[in-house]
Amino acid sequence: MKRYLETGNFAITEGAILAGCRLFAGYPITPATEIAEAMSINLPRVGGYYVQAEDECAAMHMAVGAASGGLKTMTATSGPGFILYADPYGWAIGCEIPIVVLNSQRVGPVSGITGAPGQGEFYNSRYPTQGGNYETIVLAPNSAQEAMELTIEAFYLSERFRTPVTVLADQLITDGLEDISVPETDEEKEAMGLRFAEREFHKGPEFYPPTDEIDVPPVVLGKNTGAMCSDWTPTEEGYDIETVEAHHKHSYRMIYKIRNNKDIITRYETLFVDDDPDIIAVSYGTPSRSVKTAVKKAREKGLKIGMIRPISLWPFPDELFSQKTKYLVVELDYDGQMVREVKRAAPGGSEIHFFGKCGELPTVVEMHETFDKLLNNEPLRPEGWEKEAW
Amino acid sequence: MKDRIEILASGFGGQGVVRLGQIVGVAAVNQGFRVTMLKSHGTEQRGGYVRTQLVLSKEEIDSPLVEAPDYFCSFSTAAYKQFGHMMKDGVMLYDPATVEIDASKPFRQIAVAAKDTAVEKLGRAIYTNTIMLGALTGATDGLLDKENMLTTMLQIIPKFKEENKKAFELGYSMSTT
Repeated sequence: MKRYLETGNFAITEGAILAGCRLFAGYPITPATEIAEAMSINLPRVGGYYVQAEDECAAMHMAVGAASGGLKTMTATSGPGFILYADPYGWAIGCEIPIVVLNSQRVGPVSGITGAPGQGEFYNSRYPTQGGNYETIVLAPNSAQEAMELTIEAFYLSERFRTPVTVLADQLITDGLEDISVPETDEEKEAMGLRFAEREFHKGPEFYPPTDEIDVPPVVLGKNTGAMCSDWTPTEEGYDIETVEAHHKHSYRMIYKIRNNKDIITRYETLFVDDDPDIIAVSYGTPSRSVKTAVKKAREKGLKIGMIRPISLWPFPDELFSQKTKYLVVELDYDGQMVREVKRAAPGGSEIHFFGKCGELPTVVEMHETFDKLLNNEPLRPEGWEKEAW
Repeated sequence: MKDRIEILASGFGGQGVVRLGQIVGVAAVNQGFRVTMLKSHGTEQRGGYVRTQLVLSKEEIDSPLVEAPDYFCSFSTAAYKQFGHMMKDGVMLYDPATVEIDASKPFRQIAVAAKDTAVEKLGRAIYTNTIMLGALTGATDGLLDKENMLTTMLQIIPKFKEENKKAFELGYSMSTT
């Protein structure tokens, strides 16, 4: 095991190369530029390729194209680049091309604040392209170490499900430094619970099975599959003749290969949720770090507060919100995004509250003040921000 | 030892605040600590600040935020004012050349004449942060191992090793005597 004090960007690169990534195409953007930088140095050392594209749309198209050619590939960006991925993202979903996409969220909208964390792409990551008729897989780390491990997991899931997987990080993960442990031996990888999938290619002749099956190897061009890779809905034979019947079967597959295999994807962390807590704090990504410290300290003071941290964000883990209680959803945005999913998933009679902050983490002090207000049934929102959207 | 040690360094851009934090962080990893380090770069030319937040622990670190610094290396009056209020019982190390302090504060404040010493004894202000690093190491009273810190520093800073070593020793003596 190698130990470093390094950025999340470095950790993600290490994870990708361990997972077998051999092509990275990207366009530099704070706070994900160091991934491109590290990939440009490290990929050629393992026989891989680095491509600096002219923009994000081209970058992801290149990565998807290389994945169609048989390589494990990746691209990385931040919010303003993620929206430019929309077209190739849809292509990869529709043609079932495995690829890993990293989005380090910063403050938006548009360029916002480059060097500060946000969580504005919670829904954007669920709907990264137009058209509907699909499910997406999104994983959200809360540390550099977890960013490395989830990058590996993202490659694993993308191969098994034949679909793009987004790792939704934020600026504090990618730019911040932490001690990280990078495994070197198979035993160390196994001890860390890492899962790996080799790239295979589909032997055909059919383009895809119109079922919810997974572990069907992707079509790799040039391997005598006879199939084409088009942005139109393919038939089972791989022809893009645009029939409603083929689209119906294809959509079933896009949606249910993920919904029906959710147990393979779902990951979460819970703390103190088994004794009927008065409040359950809900947070993903880096804010969950200070929320966790606040919850632990609140417990030391005798307050019955628990915590839920979804790690896989999509498909959303509804089943974690089965208790009727007060939920406090903490996010790095002011509009409230994940809180709407919690509202939908929680049983009737639950109280759903929101604490939003953007550009910096909620502090432990702020969390304790918020817990106290909730326990005393006082309103949380500052004056002028009282209209709830959820 | 406390279960969590919080170190803050803040000042203007170019004073070596982030580099200082990186050296402390790597040295702490070498000592077996778990470490988190957040660095923020404001738009310094428009009045912003640069800040490094380090948390050291023998256990896994949840919150990476410094909310009650045990050690605060202050390189500017703006930084002192912006974050000094978070100090409870920690140690403030400040450079009197660039920081105007409030002597009435209840915590311990150590003047580290880093910039002036760097210019007078080593000929260049570039050694300011190395002097502060030495002072911080001394102020931790053995928590951060001196020899390990020196070795780490010399690994991370690629040039002027003799000068940096001397600067580190000068700083170390400022907080230990």
